[in-house]
Amino acid sequence: MRRLSFVAIFIAPIALTLSAQYQDRSKSTWIEPNSGAVLPEFDAFDSNEGTLGVLNASGPVKTEGHAFFMTLGTNGRACVNCHQPTYGMSVSATALLERWKQTDGKDPVFAAFDGSNCPGLPQDKESSHSLLLKRGLFRIPLQWPPRNADGSPKPVEFTIDVVRDPAGCNTSPQYGLKSADPTISVYRRPRPAANLKYVVSGGRPIVLKTGLLADVDPETKSPVAMNLMSDAREATLQTQAMSAIMGHEQANVSPTRKQIEQIVEYESQVYAAQAAHIFGGPLAVPGGPSSLGPVALRDHKAGVLGDNDYDPVFGSFSSWKGTDYYRASVARGADLFMFRQFWLRDATHINSIGLGNPLKRTCATCHNAQMTGQDLSAGWVDVGTTNYPTWTEPATWADSSELPVFKITCSRDADPHPYLGRVIYTTDPGRALISGKCVDVGSIVMQQLRGLSARAPYFANGSAKTLREVVDFYDRRFDMKLTDGEKEDLINFLGVL
Amino acid sequence: MRLGLFILGAIVALGQQRNFVSCPIVRDTKTVPCFLAEYEGETYFLGIQQDITSEFHPPQLKHEVLVEGRIVSGPRVCGGIPLQPVAVSVVKEVNLACNTLLPAEPGIEAPAAPRGPGPSSRRAEPSRPRETFAGAHEFVVLYSFNDDYLEFAANQVVTEAAAYAKRINASTVKISGYRATTLLSNGERLVEKPGLAEKRAQNIATLLRGLGVAGMTVEWKKDAEPADGQTDPSRRRVTILVNP
Repeated sequence: MRRLSFVAIFIAPIALTLSAQYQDRSKSTWIEPNSGAVLPEFDAFDSNEGTLGVLNASGPVKTEGHAFFMTLGTNGRACVNCHQPTYGMSVSATALLERWKQTDGKDPVFAAFDGSNCPGLPQDKESSHSLLLKRGLFRIPLQWPPRNADGSPKPVEFTIDVVRDPAGCNTSPQYGLKSADPTISVYRRPRPAANLKYVVSGGRPIVLKTGLLADVDPETKSPVAMNLMSDAREATLQTQAMSAIMGHEQANVSPTRKQIEQIVEYESQVYAAQAAHIFGGPLAVPGGPSSLGPVALRDHKAGVLGDNDYDPVFGSFSSWKGTDYYRASVARGADLFMFRQFWLRDATHINSIGLGNPLKRTCATCHNAQMTGQDLSAGWVDVGTTNYPTWTEPATWADSSELPVFKITCSRDADPHPYLGRVIYTTDPGRALISGKCVDVGSIVMQQLRGLSARAPYFANGSAKTLREVVDFYDRRFDMKLTDGEKEDLINFLGVL
Repeated sequence: MRLGLFILGAIVALGQQRNFVSCPIVRDTKTVPCFLAEYEGETYFLGIQQDITSEFHPPQLKHEVLVEGRIVSGPRVCGGIPLQPVAVSVVKEVNLACNTLLPAEPGIEAPAAPRGPGPSSRRAEPSRPRETFAGAHEFVVLYSFNDDYLEFAANQVVTEAAAYAKRINASTVKISGYRATTLLSNGERLVEKPGLAEKRAQNIATLLRGLGVAGMTVEWKKDAEPADGQTDPSRRRVTILVNP
C-alpha cells in the first residue's frame, strides 16, 4: 500500500511526462502482407510497459515486393503476419484477439492449417482458434517418427500415445497420430525474428549437452548453434524461412533463392528491444546500462558468455542504484538475475550434464548469453513447463487447459528421462519430437529475453500471461522463496529489456 | 619375500579403496554444496559443485551413484572421509529415495572452490598451446559406468584427436571400444551392458567423421573387461590410435 501510494504521488506524474515524449512516436500498427509500407530505420511502438524500439540497421525497408512482407503461399500469409515489428517481431495474444475482432476472423493469420486448433474444425468459430486467441499459440504439425535429412525415419526411443486431446487434432483420422501421414500437433508461440545474430552465433562441432555432433548448415557444412525454434529443428535462418513458407504459408512452389536471402537479410538486420518505460523513461541514455535499447543490440558482439561478475549478461545497472524508485528497482532486479542463488533441481540438460543435481546457482547460469539471456550452448532445457508434474497446466486454477497431453513410454534399452523416468506425461515433448530421444522429452530451446513487454504471453506454450506469472513459475519450480519485493524487481528488470 | 610384500601392499591398497553404490547426499555450505555418500555406516566426501570444465562431475539426487575412490589420509571434508581420486557414475534409473539435501551447518565448510555458487569471477584464460604429439599416438576417451555420454573432458580428447589426425594427415585411425566390469568393495561385480562397447566406438567414429577425419577402422570388444577393484574406471573407454 505504501509502495502504491509512493508510485501514485511521486513516480506516476514524472513517468507520464517522460512517456509523453514518446507518445507521438508511438503507435500500434499491424502490417498486412503486400501493404507496400516503408518501414523507417527507427520505429517505436506502444508496448505494455512503454515503448518498444525497432531498429532497421540497414536503413528504411521498402516492403513492396519484399519476400518477408509478400504472400508467397496459398493462404494469404506472409512472414510478417506472425512477426510484426509492433510486437517485437513476434505477435501478442492480445493483438491476435483484436485482429480477430477487426477482421471477423478473416485475417490470414487465422488460416485453418495452423492458425486454428485443427484444420478440421469449423473455421468461422472463435472457439476453433482458442489456442491462438487466448495464448498466441500456432499449431506445429510434426511428422512422426522424425526424419533424417535424406527422408529416412530416425530411430526413436519411445512410444507416444495421445491421452488428452481437447482440440481433437492428434486423434483426428485425417490430421492425427494415426492418420495416413502420422503427425503430432503441438502448439507454440512464434519466436521473435529480431536480434538474430545472437540467436545463430556460437556453433560448435560437438553439442556440449549431448556429446553428439551439432547439426550443420546444409550449404557451408559448418556447425550451427542449434538455438533456432523451440526444438532446434531448423539449422539456419535459410532453412527456417523455407520451411515456414512451405508450411505456415502453404506454398505450392518453393520460394526462389533470392527471396530466401531477402528474408534472411531483413531478419538479420532488425533489432527490437524496449526503448522507453512508462516509469523508467528513455532507457538507452548516456551513463545508463549499456545493454538497453535496440541500438545496443546492433552494436554489441554476439556469442559472449555473460555468466560472470565482471561483464554480466545485460551489463551493469549500478548507475541506476540509488536513483528514482523504478530504476533502483530495475537495478535490484538485475542483481537478482545475476546473483540471487537458488537450487536448480531436476532440469534436464542443466543438472544432467555434469553440473550435479541440485546445482546452487543463479538465473544467469542458464540464461548466460550476453544481450539476450539465451544459453550460449545449444539451449534446450527441460525446465518443467511441459512435463507433469511441474507443467504449467492449467495456467491458473480457474483455467482448464486446452493443450493435448501425450504419454511417452521409453524403451527399456534407452536412457530414461533423468528425472521423470520411463513414463512421462507431457503437453509438448519438445526436442524429443526431433531427436527421438527419451532424455529430451520436455526440453525446449530457451528464448531471448528482449522486447518482452511487447509480446506476451510467455513461455513456448504461452501459459504465462504476464511477466509476474513467469517469475511465479520459476519461484514455484525452484522454490526460490522470492519476496514480493524481489518479484517486483525482477519483473521491472525484465520489462526494460 | 618380494611376493609377500606385494600381496600385503595389494591388501592395504584394497583396504583403502571404496567401491559402492548408494544414494548421494548433498550438504549445503556457506559457499558451494558438498557431495557425499554413505557406505557401511561411514560417510565419504566425493567433491564439491564446480564447473562443467572441472574434472569432478557431481552425482545427482533422484539417482544412485556408483562411487569408486581411494581413501586419502587427512581430516574429514564436509563431514566425510575424502576419496581421491574418485570416479562417480550416475545410475541412470530414477530413484526417488535419493533425495537428501542437508542444510549448511556451522563448522562444516566446503574446500576452496575455483568457482562459487554465483556467476564466475574468473577471467577467460589464454588458450593453452596445443599438445605437441609426435608419431603414433593413442588418445583415450573415458566414460562413466554404463554410459556413452561424452563429458566435457572426453569431448576435448576427441577434438584433440581429430585435430592431430588431420594435422599429420594420418595414414590410419583405429578406434577401439570397450565395456568394463567394476568390482565393488562387497565383492559384487557390476558389468556394463552388452552392446555398449560398440555404441561407444561407433559414436566416436561418427564424431571424428564429422570433424573431418577419414580412413578410420572401428572395432569393439564384445566381452566386458575384467575388474580389479582399483583401476576399473580406466577400462570404460574408447581408444583412438592415430598413426602417421
